[in-house]
Amino acid sequence: MAFPLLSKSLTGLLVESSSIIHRRTFSVSAVAAAIQKMTRVRVVDNSSLGNTPYHRPPRVIHVYTKNGVGKVGDKVLLAIKGQKKKALIVGHKMPGERMSPRFDSNNVVLIEDNGNPTGTRIKVPIPTHLRKVEGDYAKVLAIASSFV
Amino acid sequence: MNMNMLSRSKKLVSSVFKSSGLLEQTGVFRSISSIPKSRDSLCLPRRFTSSLSSCPHWHHVSARHLDTKRFYSEMCSESSDSKSSTGLFQEVSHEMDCDSSSLSQRSSETFTLDVLVSLLRQENAVDICVIKVPEQIKYTENFIVVSGVSPRHLRAMALYAIKVYKFLKKDGARNVKIQGKDAEDWMCIDFGNMVVHFMLPETREVYELEKLWTLRMYDEQLMSMPTETLPEDFIYDVEVTK
Repeated sequence: MAFPLLSKSLTGLLVESSSIIHRRTFSVSAVAAAIQKMTRVRVVDNSSLGNTPYHRPPRVIHVYTKNGVGKVGDKVLLAIKGQKKKALIVGHKMPGERMSPRFDSNNVVLIEDNGNPTGTRIKVPIPTHLRKVEGDYAKVLAIASSFV
Repeated sequence: MNMNMLSRSKKLVSSVFKSSGLLEQTGVFRSISSIPKSRDSLCLPRRFTSSLSSCPHWHHVSARHLDTKRFYSEMCSESSDSKSSTGLFQEVSHEMDCDSSSLSQRSSETFTLDVLVSLLRQENAVDICVIKVPEQIKYTENFIVVSGVSPRHLRAMALYAIKVYKFLKKDGARNVKIQGKDAEDWMCIDFGNMVVHFMLPETREVYELEKLWTLRMYDEQLMSMPTETLPEDFIYDVEVTK
Protein backbone atom coordinates (compact mmCIF):
# COMPACT_ATOMS: atom_id res chain seq x y z
CA MET A 1 0.00 0.00 0.00
CA ALA A 2 2.94 2.35 -0.37
CA PHE A 3 2.03 3.38 -3.88
CA PRO A 4 -0.85 5.74 -3.10
CA LEU A 5 1.33 7.43 -0.51
CA LEU A 6 4.15 7.65 -2.98
CA SER A 7 1.97 9.21 -5.61
CA LYS A 8 0.69 11.67 -3.04
CA SER A 9 4.14 12.96 -2.25
CA LEU A 10 5.30 13.28 -5.86
CA THR A 11 2.40 15.38 -6.93
CA GLY A 12 1.67 15.10 -10.60
CA LEU A 13 5.19 14.07 -11.51
CA LEU A 14 5.31 10.32 -11.28
CA VAL A 15 1.66 9.43 -10.93
CA GLU A 16 1.64 7.64 -14.25
CA SER A 17 4.55 5.47 -13.26
CA SER A 18 2.78 3.73 -10.35
CA SER A 19 1.43 0.36 -11.18
CA ILE A 20 -1.91 0.86 -9.48
CA ILE A 21 -3.47 3.47 -11.73
CA HIS A 22 -7.12 4.09 -11.32
CA ARG A 23 -8.82 4.97 -14.55
CA ARG A 24 -11.85 7.13 -14.46
CA THR A 25 -14.97 5.91 -16.14
CA PHE A 26 -16.12 9.48 -16.68
CA SER A 27 -14.42 12.57 -18.11
CA VAL A 28 -13.41 15.55 -16.04
CA SER A 29 -13.10 19.12 -17.13
CA ALA A 30 -11.06 21.85 -15.48
CA VAL A 31 -12.71 23.97 -12.84
CA ALA A 32 -15.03 26.57 -14.37
CA ALA A 33 -16.66 28.21 -11.38
CA ALA A 34 -15.33 28.15 -7.86
CA ILE A 35 -18.05 26.89 -5.54
CA GLN A 36 -21.69 26.83 -6.47
CA LYS A 37 -24.81 24.84 -5.68
CA MET A 38 -24.35 21.10 -5.52
CA THR A 39 -20.56 21.16 -5.27
CA ARG A 40 -19.12 18.64 -2.91
CA VAL A 41 -16.86 20.28 -0.35
CA ARG A 42 -14.37 19.16 2.21
CA VAL A 43 -14.87 20.23 5.79
CA VAL A 44 -11.48 21.01 7.27
CA ASP A 45 -12.07 21.80 10.92
CA ASN A 46 -12.29 19.35 13.80
CA SER A 47 -16.03 19.61 14.40
CA SER A 48 -17.90 16.38 14.98
CA LEU A 49 -20.44 17.24 12.30
CA GLY A 50 -17.75 17.60 9.68
CA ASN A 51 -15.72 14.56 10.60
CA THR A 52 -18.19 11.80 11.26
CA PRO A 53 -18.53 9.57 8.19
CA TYR A 54 -21.77 9.68 6.27
CA HIS A 55 -22.80 7.94 3.11
CA ARG A 56 -23.15 11.26 1.26
CA PRO A 57 -20.47 13.94 1.02
CA PRO A 58 -21.42 17.44 2.22
CA ARG A 59 -22.86 19.53 -0.61
CA VAL A 60 -23.47 23.20 -1.04
CA ILE A 61 -27.12 24.07 -1.36
CA HIS A 62 -26.92 27.85 -1.36
CA VAL A 63 -24.22 30.47 -1.81
CA TYR A 64 -24.70 33.80 -0.08
CA THR A 65 -23.43 36.10 -2.81
CA LYS A 66 -25.05 38.16 -5.53
CA ASN A 67 -24.13 35.67 -8.23
CA GLY A 68 -24.25 32.07 -7.21
CA VAL A 69 -20.47 31.63 -7.24
CA GLY A 70 -18.55 31.40 -4.03
CA LYS A 71 -14.91 32.40 -3.66
CA VAL A 72 -12.66 32.45 -0.59
CA GLY A 73 -14.41 34.27 2.22
CA ASP A 74 -17.98 33.70 1.09
CA LYS A 75 -20.61 32.06 3.25
CA VAL A 76 -22.46 29.05 1.94
CA LEU A 77 -25.16 26.75 3.20
CA LEU A 78 -24.24 23.08 3.33
CA ALA A 79 -26.29 19.95 3.63
CA ILE A 80 -24.38 17.68 6.02
CA LYS A 81 -25.74 14.51 7.55
CA GLY A 82 -29.25 15.46 6.67
CA GLN A 83 -29.04 18.89 8.29
CA LYS A 84 -28.39 22.41 7.06
CA LYS A 85 -25.30 24.22 8.29
CA LYS A 86 -23.63 27.46 7.35
CA ALA A 87 -20.00 27.39 6.35
CA LEU A 88 -17.20 29.64 5.18
CA ILE A 89 -15.12 28.92 2.09
CA VAL A 90 -11.40 28.91 2.82
CA GLY A 91 -9.99 27.58 -0.41
CA HIS A 92 -11.12 26.37 -3.78
CA LYS A 93 -9.69 24.55 -6.75
CA MET A 94 -10.32 27.37 -9.15
CA PRO A 95 -7.36 29.64 -9.81
CA GLY A 96 -7.97 33.10 -8.39
CA GLU A 97 -5.60 36.04 -8.15
CA ARG A 98 -2.17 35.60 -9.61
CA MET A 99 -0.21 35.46 -6.37
CA SER A 100 -2.90 33.88 -4.19
CA PRO A 101 -2.89 30.20 -3.21
CA ARG A 102 -4.92 27.59 -5.05
CA PHE A 103 -5.95 24.48 -3.23
CA ASP A 104 -6.40 20.92 -4.43
CA SER A 105 -9.76 20.60 -2.73
CA ASN A 106 -12.66 22.91 -2.01
CA ASN A 107 -12.16 23.59 1.68
CA VAL A 108 -14.84 24.83 3.98
CA VAL A 109 -15.09 25.65 7.71
CA LEU A 110 -18.40 25.17 9.50
CA ILE A 111 -19.74 28.20 11.33
CA GLU A 112 -22.79 28.92 13.43
CA ASP A 113 -25.43 31.49 12.63
CA ASN A 114 -23.76 34.06 14.84
CA GLY A 115 -20.42 33.61 13.09
CA ASN A 116 -18.63 31.48 15.68
CA PRO A 117 -16.78 28.52 14.19
CA THR A 118 -18.23 25.11 15.09
CA GLY A 119 -14.86 23.38 15.34
CA THR A 120 -11.98 24.50 17.49
CA ARG A 121 -8.91 23.83 15.32
CA ILE A 122 -8.09 23.88 11.62
CA LYS A 123 -5.14 21.86 10.42
CA VAL A 124 -5.27 22.75 6.76
CA PRO A 125 -3.43 25.92 5.67
CA ILE A 126 -5.61 29.00 5.47
CA PRO A 127 -4.91 31.82 3.01
CA THR A 128 -3.81 35.03 4.66
CA HIS A 129 -5.58 37.26 2.17
CA LEU A 130 -8.75 36.34 4.05
CA ARG A 131 -7.76 39.07 6.46
CA LYS A 132 -8.20 41.80 3.91
CA VAL A 133 -11.61 40.64 2.73
CA GLU A 134 -14.48 42.57 4.25
CA GLY A 135 -16.18 40.41 6.83
CA ASP A 136 -15.76 38.63 10.14
CA TYR A 137 -12.85 36.30 9.57
CA ALA A 138 -10.70 37.00 12.61
CA LYS A 139 -12.29 34.07 14.44
CA VAL A 140 -11.47 31.58 11.72
CA LEU A 141 -7.93 32.92 11.49
CA ALA A 142 -7.60 32.63 15.25
CA ILE A 143 -8.26 28.88 15.26
CA ALA A 144 -6.09 28.17 12.22
CA SER A 145 -2.78 26.46 12.81
CA SER A 146 -0.97 27.23 9.58
CA PHE A 147 -1.19 29.99 7.03
CA VAL A 148 -0.40 30.10 3.35
CA MET B 1 -18.94 72.28 38.54
CA ASN B 2 -15.50 73.57 39.28
CA MET B 3 -15.78 72.78 42.97
CA ASN B 4 -16.97 69.32 42.17
CA MET B 5 -13.94 68.69 40.02
CA LEU B 6 -11.70 70.13 42.68
CA SER B 7 -13.01 67.86 45.42
CA ARG B 8 -12.84 64.79 43.24
CA SER B 9 -9.35 65.42 42.03
CA LYS B 10 -8.23 66.28 45.55
CA LYS B 11 -9.24 62.80 46.66
CA LEU B 12 -7.43 61.27 43.75
CA VAL B 13 -4.36 63.38 44.21
CA SER B 14 -4.04 62.49 47.88
CA SER B 15 -4.40 58.82 47.12
CA VAL B 16 -1.87 59.12 44.34
CA PHE B 17 0.70 60.63 46.64
CA LYS B 18 0.17 57.90 49.17
CA SER B 19 1.30 55.33 46.67
CA SER B 20 5.06 55.22 46.55
CA GLY B 21 7.19 55.09 43.49
CA LEU B 22 5.16 57.58 41.55
CA LEU B 23 8.00 59.97 40.94
CA GLU B 24 9.89 57.73 38.62
CA GLN B 25 6.88 57.63 36.38
CA THR B 26 7.36 61.22 35.36
CA GLY B 27 8.68 59.97 32.05
CA VAL B 28 5.34 58.33 31.42
CA PHE B 29 3.57 61.47 32.56
CA ARG B 30 5.39 63.56 30.02
CA SER B 31 4.30 61.38 27.17
CA ILE B 32 0.70 61.21 28.33
CA SER B 33 0.36 64.85 29.24
CA SER B 34 0.40 65.84 25.62
CA ILE B 35 -3.21 64.75 25.35
CA PRO B 36 -5.09 67.82 24.14
CA LYS B 37 -8.13 69.34 25.70
CA SER B 38 -10.52 67.69 23.29
CA ARG B 39 -9.98 64.47 25.21
CA ASP B 40 -12.38 65.75 27.84
CA SER B 41 -15.40 64.40 26.06
CA LEU B 42 -13.75 61.02 26.02
CA CYS B 43 -12.94 61.07 29.73
CA LEU B 44 -16.32 62.24 30.83
CA PRO B 45 -18.19 58.94 30.88
CA ARG B 46 -15.40 57.17 32.73
CA ARG B 47 -15.87 56.36 36.38
CA PHE B 48 -13.94 58.44 38.86
CA THR B 49 -13.36 56.00 41.68
CA SER B 50 -11.45 57.21 44.63
CA SER B 51 -9.60 53.95 44.99
CA LEU B 52 -6.92 54.72 42.49
CA SER B 53 -4.72 51.85 41.55
CA SER B 54 -3.44 52.11 38.03
CA CYS B 55 -1.57 54.97 36.49
CA PRO B 56 -3.69 55.39 33.35
CA HIS B 57 -6.63 56.37 35.50
CA TRP B 58 -4.60 59.24 36.80
CA HIS B 59 -3.71 60.21 33.25
CA HIS B 60 -7.33 60.64 32.34
CA VAL B 61 -7.90 62.78 35.36
CA SER B 62 -4.88 64.90 34.66
CA ALA B 63 -5.96 65.46 31.10
CA ARG B 64 -9.28 66.65 32.36
CA HIS B 65 -8.20 68.87 35.14
CA LEU B 66 -4.95 70.34 34.03
CA ASP B 67 -6.49 72.99 31.89
CA THR B 68 -6.18 75.92 34.19
CA LYS B 69 -2.96 76.69 35.96
CA ARG B 70 -4.79 78.70 38.59
CA PHE B 71 -6.77 75.63 39.51
CA TYR B 72 -3.60 73.67 39.92
CA SER B 73 -1.87 76.14 42.17
CA GLU B 74 -4.83 75.84 44.53
CA MET B 75 -4.28 72.13 44.77
CA CYS B 76 -0.59 72.60 45.32
CA SER B 77 -1.15 74.84 48.27
CA GLU B 78 -3.71 72.54 49.79
CA SER B 79 -1.66 69.38 49.66
CA SER B 80 0.61 69.40 52.65
CA ASP B 81 3.19 67.11 51.12
CA SER B 82 6.87 67.49 50.49
CA LYS B 83 8.43 69.81 47.97
CA SER B 84 9.05 66.98 45.53
CA SER B 85 5.33 66.51 45.04
CA THR B 86 4.74 70.15 44.24
CA GLY B 87 7.70 69.98 41.90
CA LEU B 88 5.96 67.12 40.14
CA PHE B 89 2.78 69.13 39.83
CA GLN B 90 4.52 72.11 38.39
CA GLU B 91 6.31 69.97 35.91
CA VAL B 92 3.10 68.35 34.76
CA SER B 93 1.18 71.59 34.56
CA HIS B 94 4.03 73.17 32.66
CA GLU B 95 3.93 70.33 30.16
CA MET B 96 0.21 70.74 29.73
CA ASP B 97 0.55 74.43 29.11
CA CYS B 98 3.09 74.23 26.36
CA ASP B 99 1.28 71.34 24.75
CA SER B 100 -2.19 72.73 24.98
CA SER B 101 -0.97 75.79 23.18
CA SER B 102 -0.14 73.69 20.16
CA LEU B 103 -3.57 72.17 19.82
CA SER B 104 -3.23 71.89 16.08
CA GLN B 105 -1.05 68.79 16.40
CA ARG B 106 -2.81 65.60 17.48
CA SER B 107 -1.61 63.58 20.43
CA SER B 108 1.82 62.26 19.68
CA GLU B 109 0.83 58.94 21.17
CA THR B 110 -0.06 56.16 18.81
CA PHE B 111 -2.35 53.32 19.65
CA THR B 112 0.31 50.91 20.82
CA LEU B 113 0.08 47.69 22.76
CA ASP B 114 0.69 49.58 26.01
CA VAL B 115 -2.26 51.85 25.42
CA LEU B 116 -4.50 48.90 24.68
CA VAL B 117 -3.43 46.92 27.72
CA SER B 118 -3.78 49.91 29.98
CA LEU B 119 -7.27 50.62 28.78
CA LEU B 120 -8.21 46.97 29.21
CA ARG B 121 -6.93 47.07 32.77
CA GLN B 122 -8.91 50.20 33.35
CA GLU B 123 -12.03 48.44 32.11
CA ASN B 124 -11.59 45.69 34.72
CA ALA B 125 -10.91 43.07 32.09
CA VAL B 126 -10.46 39.59 33.47
CA ASP B 127 -7.39 37.56 32.45
CA ILE B 128 -5.59 39.70 29.90
CA CYS B 129 -3.28 37.48 27.89
CA VAL B 130 -0.85 39.08 25.45
CA ILE B 131 1.08 36.74 23.17
CA LYS B 132 3.90 37.92 20.97
CA VAL B 133 3.51 36.11 17.69
CA PRO B 134 6.80 35.11 16.04
CA GLU B 135 7.82 36.62 12.74
CA GLN B 136 7.32 33.41 10.73
CA ILE B 137 3.57 33.53 11.21
CA LYS B 138 2.63 36.34 8.91
CA TYR B 139 -0.61 37.14 10.58
CA THR B 140 -0.04 39.75 13.22
CA GLU B 141 2.54 40.81 15.79
CA ASN B 142 0.56 40.63 19.01
CA PHE B 143 -2.33 38.40 19.88
CA ILE B 144 -4.44 39.42 22.88
CA VAL B 145 -7.18 37.39 24.55
CA VAL B 146 -9.37 39.07 27.14
CA SER B 147 -12.22 37.73 29.24
CA GLY B 148 -15.15 39.67 30.50
CA VAL B 149 -17.76 39.31 33.19
CA SER B 150 -20.82 39.39 30.94
CA PRO B 151 -21.68 39.94 27.25
CA ARG B 152 -22.47 43.54 28.05
CA HIS B 153 -19.06 43.96 29.60
CA LEU B 154 -17.39 42.55 26.49
CA ARG B 155 -19.33 44.87 24.25
CA ALA B 156 -18.47 47.86 26.40
CA MET B 157 -14.76 46.99 26.35
CA ALA B 158 -14.77 46.51 22.60
CA LEU B 159 -16.57 49.77 21.96
CA TYR B 160 -14.25 51.66 24.25
CA ALA B 161 -11.20 50.21 22.54
CA ILE B 162 -12.58 51.32 19.17
CA LYS B 163 -13.29 54.76 20.55
CA VAL B 164 -9.77 55.21 21.84
CA TYR B 165 -8.32 53.88 18.61
CA LYS B 166 -10.35 56.28 16.50
CA PHE B 167 -9.21 59.13 18.66
CA LEU B 168 -5.55 58.23 18.54
CA LYS B 169 -5.20 57.11 14.96
CA LYS B 170 -3.41 59.08 12.28
CA ASP B 171 -5.02 59.87 8.97
CA GLY B 172 -3.39 57.07 7.02
CA ALA B 173 -4.41 54.27 9.34
CA ARG B 174 -7.29 52.08 8.24
CA ASN B 175 -10.60 52.05 10.03
CA VAL B 176 -11.20 49.23 12.44
CA LYS B 177 -14.50 47.54 13.10
CA ILE B 178 -15.70 45.01 15.63
CA GLN B 179 -16.00 41.54 14.12
CA GLY B 180 -18.57 39.17 15.51
CA LYS B 181 -20.81 41.89 16.84
CA ASP B 182 -23.91 39.67 16.80
CA ALA B 183 -22.20 36.83 18.66
CA GLU B 184 -22.54 37.79 22.28
CA ASP B 185 -19.80 35.55 23.64
CA TRP B 186 -16.91 36.24 21.27
CA MET B 187 -15.93 39.52 19.63
CA CYS B 188 -12.73 40.43 17.84
CA ILE B 189 -11.01 43.57 16.73
CA ASP B 190 -8.17 43.49 14.23
CA PHE B 191 -5.86 46.47 14.51
CA GLY B 192 -3.22 45.67 11.89
CA ASN B 193 -0.34 44.80 14.17
CA MET B 194 -2.56 43.53 16.99
CA VAL B 195 -5.63 41.35 17.24
CA VAL B 196 -7.83 41.41 20.33
CA HIS B 197 -10.35 38.74 21.19
CA PHE B 198 -13.02 39.44 23.80
CA MET B 199 -14.53 36.19 25.02
CA LEU B 200 -16.56 34.91 27.92
CA PRO B 201 -14.68 32.51 30.23
CA GLU B 202 -16.73 29.53 29.02
CA THR B 203 -15.99 30.28 25.38
CA ARG B 204 -12.34 30.73 26.26
CA GLU B 205 -12.28 27.23 27.76
CA VAL B 206 -13.79 25.73 24.64
CA TYR B 207 -11.41 27.28 22.13
CA GLU B 208 -8.19 27.62 24.19
CA LEU B 209 -6.68 30.18 21.89
CA GLU B 210 -3.74 30.90 24.18
CA LYS B 211 -2.65 27.28 24.01
CA LEU B 212 -2.84 27.28 20.25
CA TRP B 213 -0.88 30.47 19.80
CA THR B 214 1.86 29.67 22.28
CA LEU B 215 2.43 26.03 21.40
CA ARG B 216 1.99 26.44 17.71
CA MET B 217 2.23 22.88 16.41
CA TYR B 218 2.32 21.05 19.72
CA ASP B 219 -1.15 22.08 20.76
CA GLU B 220 -3.19 19.29 22.35
CA GLN B 221 -6.31 19.72 20.31
CA LEU B 222 -4.31 19.81 17.10
CA MET B 223 -2.44 16.65 17.96
CA SER B 224 -5.60 14.82 18.92
CA MET B 225 -7.06 15.48 15.48
CA PRO B 226 -6.53 12.37 13.37
CA THR B 227 -4.05 12.84 10.56
CA GLU B 228 -5.78 12.86 7.22
CA THR B 229 -4.67 10.55 4.50
CA LEU B 230 -5.79 10.51 0.93
CA PRO B 231 -8.19 7.71 0.12
CA GLU B 232 -6.68 4.94 -1.91
CA ASP B 233 -8.72 5.64 -5.00
CA PHE B 234 -7.93 9.35 -5.07
CA ILE B 235 -7.29 10.65 -8.56
CA TYR B 236 -5.76 13.99 -9.26
CA ASP B 237 -7.57 16.32 -11.56
CA VAL B 238 -6.58 17.60 -14.94
CA GLU B 239 -3.77 20.06 -14.33
CA VAL B 240 -4.96 23.61 -14.66
CA THR B 241 -2.48 25.88 -16.35
CA LYS B 242 -2.99 29.59 -16.57
